[in-house]
Amino acid sequence: MVIMSAAGEVRSRRVLARVGRSWALLALLLMLLVFSLAGKEFLSLANYSNILLASVTLFLLAAGETFVVVSGGIDLSIGFVMGLVCVTSAIVMRDLNAAGASQLICVSAGATVGLVLSLIPGAINGLLITRFRVPPFIATLGMWGIANGLAWLFSGGLPIAFLPSAVHKIGRAYVGYYSTKAGFSFAPPQLTTREDILSVVKIIPVPVLIVAICLVVLGFVLARTRFGRHTYAIGGKMDAAVRAGIDVRRHLLKVYVLSSFCAGCAGVILVFLSNAGSLTQFTSNYELLSIASVVIGGASLTGGRGSIWGTVTGVLLIGTLNNGLMMMGLQIFYRFIAIGIILIGAVLIDRSFPELLYED
Amino acid sequence: MKRWMMVVMSVVLVMAVGFGLVAKPFVIAFMPGIADPFYFTMEKGAKAMAAQLGPDKVQLIVGQYPATWGPDAQVPLLDALMARGDIDLLFTAPTSTQALIPVLKKYHDRGIPIITVDTYLGDGDYTKASDYSFPLSYIGTDNKLGGEVVAAQLAVLLGGTGKVFLENTNPDTSSVMDRERGFRQGLLGFPQMELVGVEYCLDNQETAQAQVANALQLHDDLAGVFGVNVFSAQGAHAAVAAAGLSGVVKVGTWDATATLIEALKNGEVDFILAQKPGEMGSLCVQWGYEYLASGKTLSVPRKIVPGFFVFTKDNVNSPDSQQYIYSK
Amino acid sequence: MMNPKFKNVFIRVLRRWVFIFLGLEILAFSLLGTNFLSLDTLQNILVSSTTVLLLAVGETFVIITGGIDLSVGFMVGFTGVVCAKVMVTLQAAGTTQAMAIAVGIAAALVVGLLPGFINGVLVAHLKVPPFIATFGMYGIAYGCAEIICNNVPIHDLPSAVGPIGHGFLFFWVPGKLFRTFVEPSGLSSIDLKHLVSLVPNLFLITVVFTLIFGFILARTRFGRHTYAIGGSIDAAERAGIDVKRHLVKVYMISSFFASLAGVGYVLRYITGRAPAGSAQVLDAVVAVVIGGASLYGGKGSILGTFVGAMVLATLVLGLANLALPTYYAYIAVGCILIIAVLIDQFSPELVHKED
Repeated sequence: MVIMSAAGEVRSRRVLARVGRSWALLALLLMLLVFSLAGKEFLSLANYSNILLASVTLFLLAAGETFVVVSGGIDLSIGFVMGLVCVTSAIVMRDLNAAGASQLICVSAGATVGLVLSLIPGAINGLLITRFRVPPFIATLGMWGIANGLAWLFSGGLPIAFLPSAVHKIGRAYVGYYSTKAGFSFAPPQLTTREDILSVVKIIPVPVLIVAICLVVLGFVLARTRFGRHTYAIGGKMDAAVRAGIDVRRHLLKVYVLSSFCAGCAGVILVFLSNAGSLTQFTSNYELLSIASVVIGGASLTGGRGSIWGTVTGVLLIGTLNNGLMMMGLQIFYRFIAIGIILIGAVLIDRSFPELLYED
Repeated sequence: MKRWMMVVMSVVLVMAVGFGLVAKPFVIAFMPGIADPFYFTMEKGAKAMAAQLGPDKVQLIVGQYPATWGPDAQVPLLDALMARGDIDLLFTAPTSTQALIPVLKKYHDRGIPIITVDTYLGDGDYTKASDYSFPLSYIGTDNKLGGEVVAAQLAVLLGGTGKVFLENTNPDTSSVMDRERGFRQGLLGFPQMELVGVEYCLDNQETAQAQVANALQLHDDLAGVFGVNVFSAQGAHAAVAAAGLSGVVKVGTWDATATLIEALKNGEVDFILAQKPGEMGSLCVQWGYEYLASGKTLSVPRKIVPGFFVFTKDNVNSPDSQQYIYSK
Repeated sequence: MMNPKFKNVFIRVLRRWVFIFLGLEILAFSLLGTNFLSLDTLQNILVSSTTVLLLAVGETFVIITGGIDLSVGFMVGFTGVVCAKVMVTLQAAGTTQAMAIAVGIAAALVVGLLPGFINGVLVAHLKVPPFIATFGMYGIAYGCAEIICNNVPIHDLPSAVGPIGHGFLFFWVPGKLFRTFVEPSGLSSIDLKHLVSLVPNLFLITVVFTLIFGFILARTRFGRHTYAIGGSIDAAERAGIDVKRHLVKVYMISSFFASLAGVGYVLRYITGRAPAGSAQVLDAVVAVVIGGASLYGGKGSILGTFVGAMVLATLVLGLANLALPTYYAYIAVGCILIIAVLIDQFSPELVHKED
């Protein structure tokens, strides 16, 4: 029997603690295990890609929301800001395409307009909250309605079609394709028979790659930069932050702009994914799902806690649950019940084993 | 001098209105079911007919579009619209076959004729004696029949055999559930075809895309998908296209929005079943006006079903089909 | 000289800007709208605010303790479906209408307490964050509701349900009739035109419960403890309050009101539908916050919530009366919400700061 040194024991305890502290991660791993055994097609690269693709917008929305929640606030407008940006970018792309502009110009102009537009709701939210002391709940709820109304106004309530062909090419692209017939390539192989098409191994959807890069950047900003530290400080104790010399007002403004910008990114990606500009529907609940992901990831609604990594596990947990339960053949409403119970159960497990999970 | 003339003119005008020489236009109100392209197109058709009849004959007031489907969203908006007090006739898409009966009856009893469009009260048969026989007419779609038409169309494309998947949207919306029932019914006539699954995306296109992607993953040999309305259809064809299976897996859809028409042209969708909301809206205004103009004596058919138009790659570009595309 | 007690109340009322805002709203819509200031419209506002108001009253208790209850939206549907199903089953089994309706309502109210109990235990004893606990319950309630009704709205309820839901307290034809509760039948059309219906039944039920629980929150020890917990849980515990038991009761109150809203839905719409009320949760929380509560807890009142709910309902119906293109309504609601709160900031002498 190996006798571990004291230092080794503490180190491994630390790793266990870090993993265990993210109960969501534990739950996620457990879930992956269970689903792989229970559902036949779950354990495949294509399915994992599907899970990630289905959660792409939620990743971005929740990442932006993480900053807001860590700072002690809340942003309810993200779902409709995403819809507004989606619709606006699509309109720009469509009109430029109809006017004969090159693919590159259409796509980049559309994306740029959308992203720039997304800064505005965030700025307004931030101003209302910091300068006029409007509670974040009300300010962002007001923006929720305004963004939605504008999205309707611009689109006429109809989905936007006839976008430049580059849009769906990028949205449906993968980084690499491997097939026994055509070997490895960066472009999608042109195959006609079903068996051939299904045999292609598709490596990493491009939208997922883009979002992953964004998440890494955002995670770095929150965890390692002064901006991130200030965000935690403000969420922790605002007086302490003020006394420490942080310009709370300016910082919070940036936080809300960031959240809105992330929603804008989600909107632009949605255009690529669905090859259309569409509004966000009322029943979508993106806000609730984002906040839930953030809280699952360890944040507290009073602020000061949370992380991008935690949020990512939260989003993955919800996405895996949805996918896995469907692959198991569970009907939709039983899935709602199952997800509710599993979510609560997972948190309970966290509460029941504090000694395992927290160091010192 | 001028002032004196103006006074006289005003007096004459007032007397004319009072004596009905300058007739007041009839005010027809439209209460839609939910905010979506189908009802926008219906409003467009209604407005066109109102314009054609002339603003001196008909004034169309459109109520606020409910954000979600259901009487709890629609009834307050309907009541608010009717409380204006200046409405002569109402056409609406009742979002519940039962909940709207006492509400609409109340307005009927006040002397305002009711036409139901796209959906109906009770079982839709206004000719027999019941507590929902008061509406003037039901002008609408037969969703169940449409579902059967889709099943038949898909069967033609698949050669009568194969596995199909249904991507539905919201189980609480009667119209799409009728389409599902019709689809299942229609499939019974093709014993070699099997419905392997039904999913509900709750009006979320991304969810629809994810669900169809999962279905493709679960069933290697899936041959056809039916997306029952705009959101489910957009998600469905996007998932099939993303998997590279456009053309191999046949996609049938409902509701001819610009996005689905484009997909049809690109080969990502194989056929679209279009309702005729513009025509429905137009008929409501037309019959409504004629009924009111006749002093409420005109005999209006109790049920009018304008039917469907099926878009395929062959007819999508023909000039006659363009009118059936949903637009504002 | 004004009676000093009356003057106090008057000033206290004025100090809450929500009242002023409500008054401004009514004024604006009367001027801009068509026939806004009519008995019909005002009573429509009262009736359509039922669900949001009931949810908001229950939610007030939860928010004051610093929590939030997201499950109430689908609990309305869940209890509504239970209520409808029981009514239909009993009716088919041959019981009298009164029995079927009464048992249906009772069943819904009793069943509605269970999710609240579970929420409370999760939050108070098991330390699950309220957001997650109630979000999970939200999904569970929705799933259960749909399964019970098998995705189909439940129809064919006892025929007495509709008249109760659409009924009024007083029916009055000037000079001729005056009835209570039962709608006079067989009126000539001239009489029908002059029929004045006052105080919708649903609103009556809502007001009764609002007053009862408003009293509980403002004047009883239970209410004081609720505020205390919202202020600081530690201080409350040190003061000897059994915080855990209290929180469970608070979440049960919230779900009780959700089941009241579910019953109200069934009465008004004569169907049991699973997604009923799902869109109203956000409105309920907005009503509570406009009424003066803070999402961090410790502040708020039932009176404020009541006025907040009225402000929202008036806004929605006023805009609907104008028959504007729908997107303007969405934009208008967003802007007006923000303006409402801004007024609070810019009128310090009118603002009533809670201690």
